[in-house]
Amino acid sequence: MIFLNSEITWFVDVYILLILGYAILIMSSYLILAYLSTKALRSYLKKNSFIDYEVLLTSEFAPKLSLIAPAYNEGFTIEENVKSLLSLNYNNYQVIVVNDGSRDNSMEILINTYDLFLTELEVDLKIETKKVRGIYTSRNAAFKKLIVVDKENGGKADALNVGLNIAQNPYVVCIDVDCILDKDSLLKLAKPFLESYGKRIIATGGVVRIANQCVIRNGRLVEINIPDAILPRIQVLEYLRAFLLGRMAWGRLDGLLLISGAFGAFDKEIALLAGGYSTKTVGEDMELVVRMRRYMVENKLPYSVSYIPDPLCWTEAPEDFKIFKKQRSRWMRGTIETLTLHKKMFLNPKYKLLGMLSIPYWTFFEFLAPAIEFTGLIITLLFIFFGFINWHFFFLLVFFVYTFAVFFSVIALYSEERTYHKYPKQTDFLKLLLAAFIEPLYFHPLTVYAALVGYKEKIMGTKGWGEMTRKGFTKKE
Amino acid sequence: MVEIWELYKNSNWVEPFLIGSICLFVGISTVLYLLIIESRNRKIKHEKLRNEYEQIIVELMYSVVFMDVPFSSVKEEQNYAMFLKNTYFREVLTESVINLHKNYDGVYAIKLEQFYKESELINNSFKKLKNYKWEVKCKGITELSEMNITDAFDIIINISKSKNKTLKITAINACIKLVGVKGIIHLTEHPYPIDDWTQVNIINAFKKHDIGDTQGVEDLLESKNTTVVALGLKLIKELKLTQKLPHVKQLTERAPNTLIQYEAQSVLQALNVNL
Repeated sequence: MIFLNSEITWFVDVYILLILGYAILIMSSYLILAYLSTKALRSYLKKNSFIDYEVLLTSEFAPKLSLIAPAYNEGFTIEENVKSLLSLNYNNYQVIVVNDGSRDNSMEILINTYDLFLTELEVDLKIETKKVRGIYTSRNAAFKKLIVVDKENGGKADALNVGLNIAQNPYVVCIDVDCILDKDSLLKLAKPFLESYGKRIIATGGVVRIANQCVIRNGRLVEINIPDAILPRIQVLEYLRAFLLGRMAWGRLDGLLLISGAFGAFDKEIALLAGGYSTKTVGEDMELVVRMRRYMVENKLPYSVSYIPDPLCWTEAPEDFKIFKKQRSRWMRGTIETLTLHKKMFLNPKYKLLGMLSIPYWTFFEFLAPAIEFTGLIITLLFIFFGFINWHFFFLLVFFVYTFAVFFSVIALYSEERTYHKYPKQTDFLKLLLAAFIEPLYFHPLTVYAALVGYKEKIMGTKGWGEMTRKGFTKKE
Repeated sequence: MVEIWELYKNSNWVEPFLIGSICLFVGISTVLYLLIIESRNRKIKHEKLRNEYEQIIVELMYSVVFMDVPFSSVKEEQNYAMFLKNTYFREVLTESVINLHKNYDGVYAIKLEQFYKESELINNSFKKLKNYKWEVKCKGITELSEMNITDAFDIIINISKSKNKTLKITAINACIKLVGVKGIIHLTEHPYPIDDWTQVNIINAFKKHDIGDTQGVEDLLESKNTTVVALGLKLIKELKLTQKLPHVKQLTERAPNTLIQYEAQSVLQALNVNL
């Protein structure tokens, strides 16, 4: 340690010990969650091998679902994406595409491709939204499941609320129109709604994986590849860590706060009673789950949120830093907004595990972590500048954090290997392994930077999503 | 508290702790990496072996099922005798026999059942029922029910009383396949609620195995367990058992709650429309 006989020495020592304590706490929490996840995952997979999801295909008792897909300037891909939504392996469902005031030719494409006409559909406006210009259905019986809503631009949450108002079925599945869904995804997502007795399942969510450089044919994923580009490649690893080693544990503890906006199902009645999606936040997916949970607790209604660890939805990750930064800063703003809106729940025993564990965990390890890391960096630089640093100890600490990060990624790779084994190619595995070594040095600082931008945007009052351009998937005809 | 803080502040532990942790992380990462490699190699090896075994099994099945070669003579052949003692081969063989049985009816199905018994694969399946792991039990149940081994019914019906939901569903489905309605009649005394997923599976088993004799389904309506009553109503509706309508009508008059009454009325309505 530093041997300077002054008050500064004391301050430096305490500071370093606190940083170390925080690091140990966060690492331990990761390991505990990973342990719980692995246990839950093994149990799930064992059960899953005896489950025949097809029973839902022929049963009139299968939950009736309404898929809500908001679309904004998706003209390039909308035709194929809607086709893929219409051909999912499920019977009791309708597809509601909400055109959120696109400035491109999305509506024309939809009208021409699906032979749509303006229809008079009774809509009960349970949630106030931007003006709906028209509701369209198809003349072609093959597309009878499809409803297209044309509305004024109001953002993703507003578009989803329009879908909630129009949905005719008791369960809604909110999806990103450009996501690639596994053909059995609806079967898997619907099953938990039938399973609980005496406890209402208010939401179910599945795992999202990265589809960059994967091959898509007719809206279906036919070949899984690991991207060559380093940024999306590390995101593959990051998603594995988050979904396989994190959310599964929260799901098991029934403390899940977030169901990905890309693909999640909700009990429509509860979603409406809770007030629908909030248009005041860019983290509308997380905020809705928290509000629905809060509604259930405050009304003393027994409930649960279910989590399915199967990879059900594949999405495109940002490939360039500008887009990545926009995405991550928005995620941070969404987290801040949700935690602020529901600050009443923080360490409030009334909300049980949610208030005592989930919300504090998100506050300390998701919201505050980048700030703590950044402060740590600044103070370390100051120590270096003033010559207070003990280099031996400093390098030990850095190496400790680095080896943990690599170790945790290797656990995720091992878990993936023993469970879904979606990356059987040797080269793909080596790419991921290499990513594990690069991640703490390259990717992690970027995420911290993007999160700091998120803080700044929140302070400056930035609203909205910003333009998110996509490169598009590799297609095979 | 002060002592802990003092201990914490006395940072002599920090260096050995950090070095120890680093060694631990590196060590476990290396072990996990080796395990991943081993798992991948094992998968490749198993895949190769499976392909090899499947070719042998195709020949074996062809002789026994389609060429009417008795199993007793096949067993004597040196090529097969050695493999038949191999546990993994028997596992692949069982899977192949089960899959073939799913695709064949009549005489070929009977020959496969005969082979399953003569080759003593049946004993392996029975052994699985005694295993303490529920997933192994499930496998045994699936095999025995697919091969129509009615002798297994008594054991399977006992297993169906298990609290493990997956095991319960597998066992009930097997009972339905083996003996029809008799396989679920014990549910009238079932003390716990049966969730919708289990109910959907039971209904599907009736449809899938084309259970013609539905004598006794009406007994479910007499149960004190309202979820069992709901199951009975759903079965009557899905299988369009119009002959059970008088029982449903009776139920509407003495329904234990309004939900059941509503469901019973909706069944009456649906089936009367169909009449």
